[in-house]
Amino acid sequence: MAQLNVTDRDYFKPGHLGCPGCGAAIAIKFALKALGEKIIMVIPASCASIIVGPYPQSAVNIPILHTAFATAGAAASGVRAALDMKGDTETTVLSWAGDGGTFDIGFQSLSGAVERNEDCIFVCYDNEAYMNTGVQRSSSTPYGMRTTTTPGRDWKKTRKKNIMEIMAAHRIPYAATTSIAFPEDMIAKFQKAKEKKGGSRFIHIFASCATGWGAPSEMSVKIARLAVQTNIFPLYEIENGTRYTLNYKGDRPVEDYLQIQGRFKHLNKADIAQIQKMVTEDWTAVCRKTETAHTG
Amino acid sequence: MKQVAEGSQAVSEAVRLAKVQVIAAYPITPQTHIVEIISEFCSNGTLDARFICVESEHSAMAAIIGAASSGVRTFTATSSHGLAYMHELLHWASGARLPIVMTDVNRALGPGWNIWLDQTDSLSQRDTGWIQLYCEDGQDVLDSTLMAYRLAESVNLPVMVVLDAFFLSHTYEPVDVPDQEPVDKFLPPFSPRFQLDTDNPGAFNQFVAPQAYMEMRYNIQTAMEQVPGNYSHIAEEFETIFGRQHNPAEAVQCDDAEIIFVTAGTTVSTCRQAVDRLRSKGEKTGLLKLKMFRPFPIDLFRQVLSGKQKVAVVDRNCSFGASGIFAQELRAALYHAESPPQIFGYIAGLGGRDVTPETIEDIYWQTKNADSPQTENIWIGLDQETIESWRN
Amino acid sequence: MTDNKTPDNKIPLFLPHSSASTALNKTGSWRYVRPLYDEKTSACSAACPAGEDIARIEMLVSQKLIPEALETILEENPFPAVCGRVCFHNCEGACNRGQMDDPIAIHHLERFLGDAAISSKETPKVDTLPENGKKVAIAGSGPAGLGAAYFLARLGFGCEVFEAQSEPGGILRWGIPAYRLPREVLDKEISRIAELGVSIHCRTPITREILGTFKTQYDAVFIGCGYGRAVDLQIEGAQKAINGLQFLYNIRARHAVSLNAKSSAAVIGGGNTAIDVARTLVRLGVDPIIVYRRRRQDMPAFDPELQMALDEGVKLKELLSPIGIKDAAGDSADHQPSYVVTLQKMKVSTTKIEGRARVVPDGDKTETLQIDHIFAAIGAEPADPWHNVPSGERPSLHLSHCEIVNSDVPIAYGGDLTNRVKSVADAIASGKQAAITLDTYFKSGWDAVNEAVAGCQVGPGPTVSMTMYLGKEREDRNPHIVSFNEINTHYFKSAPRTIAPVLSPQDRSQSFLPVEYTLSKEAALEESRRCFNCGICNACDYCRLYCPEMSVIVENAGRHINLDYCKGCGLCVAECPRNAMALKEEDI
Repeated sequence: MAQLNVTDRDYFKPGHLGCPGCGAAIAIKFALKALGEKIIMVIPASCASIIVGPYPQSAVNIPILHTAFATAGAAASGVRAALDMKGDTETTVLSWAGDGGTFDIGFQSLSGAVERNEDCIFVCYDNEAYMNTGVQRSSSTPYGMRTTTTPGRDWKKTRKKNIMEIMAAHRIPYAATTSIAFPEDMIAKFQKAKEKKGGSRFIHIFASCATGWGAPSEMSVKIARLAVQTNIFPLYEIENGTRYTLNYKGDRPVEDYLQIQGRFKHLNKADIAQIQKMVTEDWTAVCRKTETAHTG
Repeated sequence: MKQVAEGSQAVSEAVRLAKVQVIAAYPITPQTHIVEIISEFCSNGTLDARFICVESEHSAMAAIIGAASSGVRTFTATSSHGLAYMHELLHWASGARLPIVMTDVNRALGPGWNIWLDQTDSLSQRDTGWIQLYCEDGQDVLDSTLMAYRLAESVNLPVMVVLDAFFLSHTYEPVDVPDQEPVDKFLPPFSPRFQLDTDNPGAFNQFVAPQAYMEMRYNIQTAMEQVPGNYSHIAEEFETIFGRQHNPAEAVQCDDAEIIFVTAGTTVSTCRQAVDRLRSKGEKTGLLKLKMFRPFPIDLFRQVLSGKQKVAVVDRNCSFGASGIFAQELRAALYHAESPPQIFGYIAGLGGRDVTPETIEDIYWQTKNADSPQTENIWIGLDQETIESWRN
Repeated sequence: MTDNKTPDNKIPLFLPHSSASTALNKTGSWRYVRPLYDEKTSACSAACPAGEDIARIEMLVSQKLIPEALETILEENPFPAVCGRVCFHNCEGACNRGQMDDPIAIHHLERFLGDAAISSKETPKVDTLPENGKKVAIAGSGPAGLGAAYFLARLGFGCEVFEAQSEPGGILRWGIPAYRLPREVLDKEISRIAELGVSIHCRTPITREILGTFKTQYDAVFIGCGYGRAVDLQIEGAQKAINGLQFLYNIRARHAVSLNAKSSAAVIGGGNTAIDVARTLVRLGVDPIIVYRRRRQDMPAFDPELQMALDEGVKLKELLSPIGIKDAAGDSADHQPSYVVTLQKMKVSTTKIEGRARVVPDGDKTETLQIDHIFAAIGAEPADPWHNVPSGERPSLHLSHCEIVNSDVPIAYGGDLTNRVKSVADAIASGKQAAITLDTYFKSGWDAVNEAVAGCQVGPGPTVSMTMYLGKEREDRNPHIVSFNEINTHYFKSAPRTIAPVLSPQDRSQSFLPVEYTLSKEAALEESRRCFNCGICNACDYCRLYCPEMSVIVENAGRHINLDYCKGCGLCVAECPRNAMALKEEDI
């Protein structure tokens, strides 16, 4: 790319089945720019399963193992074990799951895998609901969002599960949040993850879904940018579960982010204030951990 | 070399001899000895393999699917609820055409919690596209496991090798554990017909529209139909090398028998004893051991049982609302036979309740004394007082 | 058993395995809007009277393509080194970056490029048409006349410029002091115009009679004689005041000027000439006071110039208007002030004229000023009446920066004679507009002129572009002016404007050396990188980076959208930092 520290080369082919403006497709594009082709992807049921092409097509020159919804962590572990037995130390195993396959149905196998410190990169591309099956809520759905299973006045009133803290609790070598609106940061983190061989690495990607979030397709990147700028989705890294590094300090109010998405349009001023309070609380907690990491 | 070994040990020795490369398993009584022995093998270097201590049976099968897809020989073992938990992925393994071998220790499904012999767990999986082989004793277990790898890798379908809880898994018997060399002759290293390969990339197991799905399913059925032929070729070779014969079904004194027992597992060896006893009293009885349950050896059964008078099927399982599963399958298999026998279904020994030679003799007399079956099944050995108490 | 036994009977496998490319799937069919590269007009280029393609120029500088940047400027303006010193840079006021932090230092960058063109070994090439055999006479070698000559010569006309003074340049040479515009810079830019084949005849004033003969010798005439005569004070003792313009001329012509050092001077007026006179006086050791009838904010002079003057020690007296000049009593040998000026105090009236405050006498209040010298710089007018655009004659074409009498031999009037804003840049604009108009007339007649002029306007006009007239790529530029709201400021880090090194006021007041230095190449590069490049594609590649369909194709010739796969999501258009793209509905 002309003025960016990003390779021109793409490993993701057009003709894939992502919606126009699909944030998940952009996430795949960036991840592969960082990782190249010496990888095996394990994809549990999710939007990605469909995006990468139906039989007999594939959108990548990379071996993909599609697996059942709950199994990303375990299947990736099996692939890794086999590669180790075959003496292959070069190939990276990349588990590519959505929020369902990471936070909910896939939670157990992910926890099992990272507790065993399996030598894989576990990615969660997060569109904050079960998008592939029609926008039903997941435990990654944020407080305030309407989905098809939290409709009308039953909009979700529990907080988004903090998957990064859960990964930290497993003390894995590396965990990081990324956003499709910050490509250089995302690509650098994937490269960092690739180099940290020998243990579990977790990358959480904020992957906008214009289709499911009630926004025009051209807003995908802007929404992903605002998520970071409002501290709703902070960019940070956790090494070995204890050392926190903050990559970006946002300074915009949550309203800037909420008001441009149909999924939040039912919220009134009090709701927005409540969300601001919760976001500030979580942000303060992350900042505090960053400070103690440096002084501790 | 002949050893005194329990069934679990026999399984583990076979896994070692087969040079399995990746094992993933979750402990469940009474499979636990298998995973413990194999763990020990991996730890002390007897077996060069990666043992993944997964956090559930569902993940065990998922990990094995991942490993098999990457082109290595794999193994797992489970029982009862563990097998039920894996159910989704049993379909997946066969649909993915992976030559996985798994041991299932037949154990009852709860509630109530029951750790003893019951065949319903494995038989509930009969629609998943797995080949199923039932074992009578420790030798049968070891030999079947070795043959299972050859068979699985020849048709690209997974194989379940089934043994009875406690009666086989924890029972010590003399077992001839072969040397590595003849096993290597019989079972060469795994040569995958496909695998995840960065030099030859492709996507496996993705979204398939109606236009192609049905043909893929037909390919599975075609492979299943290939199994009996492949199995007999493999069993023949096995007999040549190791001197032991294991047929998909074994007919014992069936030629002139008027009543023939059909059953599987350790119940078979109980039956052998009962048949000998009845023969010594002049009764014309025989036994048809069911070893291969999937694919059901229709031709063989028709061959042996056509023209016979009566068959007594001993099911240590039940498909509620229908009947004992072996009986049900047998009735279906013999429907188109020339002069099929009358089929009497008996349900016995659920949840570890003992089936003795006396039980078999009792079944014989009930069969002989009835002109025709009055019901789909007769439940043997129920405690009448208990049943009366709930009826009143 | 032999080792080479037949393998177990393996039937062919048919399982879900894919290796055909999704590229077989032409997702372009999903689209109902399509993106395209749609370069638009930058606010700065629309504000520039010469219509310089500023956003593109700064982009080229930032890409270190200095020769290309020079050519881009010279296509529209033959005097970048001059303008980079004397232009009042409307462009910076319009600069969108100014709404984020500081506007781009376009003025300094123009100077940098102008100086680079002068010092470059090769003359930068500009587009020219073959000679068309027609000849044009041009009266006046100021920025309007020389501008007209430059553009007419490029369009294939043979040009002869007639100048009354001994050297060409008009106001550039004779009106603007050396500390703002050094002689050498002007000479070099004028000679570059001459190199196009333009003949410049100095000491050859044109009279009305000679103008008559032109009608038989030339195919067209351009009159750019400017405002050659100063307006006199209409008060008692007006003759005691020195003509400010004449004074500047004398300095430039190196005529002797009798001024005592440390004497005082009053400069009547509020325009640039008044400032120039005052600052020149400082450099001659005189103590000047500018006396203006309105307030500082009402002065037509460029305020930065005024501020520099004040820093150099010039004083300002506001709301005072002279009503009489008398000789002072006393002996000049005692070094008494030579004159007494009576000044009427003025006050701001409540009504306004054209946005400027109206001032009225504040009753009878007056004050007196005792002063050695008085300079009048209250305005100028054409030196001869025939310089003016005639009224009531043959029908005229009235354009924004010139008027053309469409007789058999068209006579075009431009520069200060026709421009509402009397500036160098507007003068150049009038030369260009006249050239384009004459070329259109000779090729297609008067009726074609309005359409031709409209077709090469920058944005909504009235500025015209030579590049567009010649049918180059800029012709396709969307005339929509990019506003600040259309810029994605996230893509730009706040950075202060580069400051051009400036002599200190003390150093400045000692000499006529240039007050400001030209930016160094490093400073120019750094400053050019701050430019948003509003509406221009600078190959930042964000469109390509974000396209989820990998459908932005970059080739040597530029970039385009792969319509086989583009789903019309619009991300490229939304994320373009500088609004250089657009979405268009598909015909369904």
